[in-house]
Amino acid sequence: MAKIDEVKEQVIIGKTKMVPGLVQAALDEGSAAKDILQAMIDGMKVVGDRFSAGEIYVPEMLIAAKAMAKGVEVLKPSLSGEASTSLGTCVIGTVEGDLHDIGKNLVNMMIGSAGFDMVDIGVDQAPDKFIEAIKNNKNVKLVACSALLTTTLPALKKTVDAIRESGLQGFKIIVGGAPVTAQFAEEIGADAYAPDAGSAAEKAKEIVAA
Amino acid sequence: MIIIAEKINGSIPSVAKAIEARDAGFIQNLAKVQSEAGSDFIDVCASVEVSRELETLKWMIDLVQEVTDTPIAVDSPSSETCAKAIDFCKRPGLVNSVSMEGNKVEEVFPKIAKTEWECVALLCDDTGIPRSAEKRLEVFDALMQKAKEYNIDPSRLHIDPLVEMLATSDDGINMIIEVMKEIRRRYPTIHITGAASNVSFNLPARKIVNQAFVVLAMNAGLDSVILDPLNKDMRGLIYATEALLGHDEMCIEFIQAFRKGVFGTPPQAPAKK
Repeated sequence: MAKIDEVKEQVIIGKTKMVPGLVQAALDEGSAAKDILQAMIDGMKVVGDRFSAGEIYVPEMLIAAKAMAKGVEVLKPSLSGEASTSLGTCVIGTVEGDLHDIGKNLVNMMIGSAGFDMVDIGVDQAPDKFIEAIKNNKNVKLVACSALLTTTLPALKKTVDAIRESGLQGFKIIVGGAPVTAQFAEEIGADAYAPDAGSAAEKAKEIVAA
Repeated sequence: MIIIAEKINGSIPSVAKAIEARDAGFIQNLAKVQSEAGSDFIDVCASVEVSRELETLKWMIDLVQEVTDTPIAVDSPSSETCAKAIDFCKRPGLVNSVSMEGNKVEEVFPKIAKTEWECVALLCDDTGIPRSAEKRLEVFDALMQKAKEYNIDPSRLHIDPLVEMLATSDDGINMIIEVMKEIRRRYPTIHITGAASNVSFNLPARKIVNQAFVVLAMNAGLDSVILDPLNKDMRGLIYATEALLGHDEMCIEFIQAFRKGVFGTPPQAPAKK
């Protein structure tokens, strides 16, 4: 098996100690840094799909992302020389009044693993904080808003409305969280909805490419 | 958690029968299933009269080593026999056991001094099993002095503080918990062991008592245990306790053991389309 394929396999099973060495070996074998990155992104897609299908547990997804992050560290010096492989910047946060960050962090990790540069503005963020982050960061292609409580669903609507009204453009809005449904997402004018972290990463790629 | 698999022991009637009939298949099957269940050591105890103990042990150890690479725990009430049985083993294992009784330590420690063999040491001496935590720790101190003399690192010792029957104990297992905590405090790398089932003698529903004991003892420093590795409830409880104690980063060991079927009911593989 080529080292680059091994990188993908070891990311999938979350071998944090193995991945950095394998990434280096793949570079030594002549694979391009962006291809190795893509192999890891492909690996994380497998992980995300398995998570969405209920085949693996949260720690297994976390450890896979950790393994990829270790691999990216090795890759960084080589990547900076090549053309950007980023899918753009994603601003992510939990809407005002909602303090739950576990789900948001998982989504952050998975969208990041899909190739976005993440700007995590944290929990309990008012609409203007989202707008500020969109203005202050370059190349924002995606805004991800999370709400875990039924009581914060109105804040999700308020946030999406405010972002639309700001007139800012060039990005898509994705929403999610336990009480959110595809129907609700559509009603409040979001571009996409995802039921879990694995599908959020897939949706993110899909809508940004559209 | 270090698992010392207990099922190959001549004091168990079915094993005694297999030994008498020289039933190699029976012994080898026990070795195989215990090894596959993720045991760290396969305990081998003949439990026959002294005159034929050593030859019986050799027969048993040879059989086990034919089917598994899992290290052997050579188990005999005689330290002298343990020391001799070491020579039957292909790779370093565990001596089960010595204590400060008689010259048990002298029979074993010189023999394992310059090896990678590990050793179970019981906290009793010629006066018997000390009643108080203080006295038991005195035996421990004497033992550690001996270990130092023979240059045996604490990480090669499995200290069995000798839990007694709950049914006749005045204060539950508090005394032994105190001993375990103190040993762990003094020697972070030492192993603390025990038989998971001794505590419940003469009580009904012994499994429940054993499980509660293991959880409490793990919280006090127990990190090695002599048990039936095929006991799924106990294995699951141990993995869960390790995770709850923060010894299992991201619960990965717990999840992997579950996937291997060490405990619980593994999820059915999705049907092929």
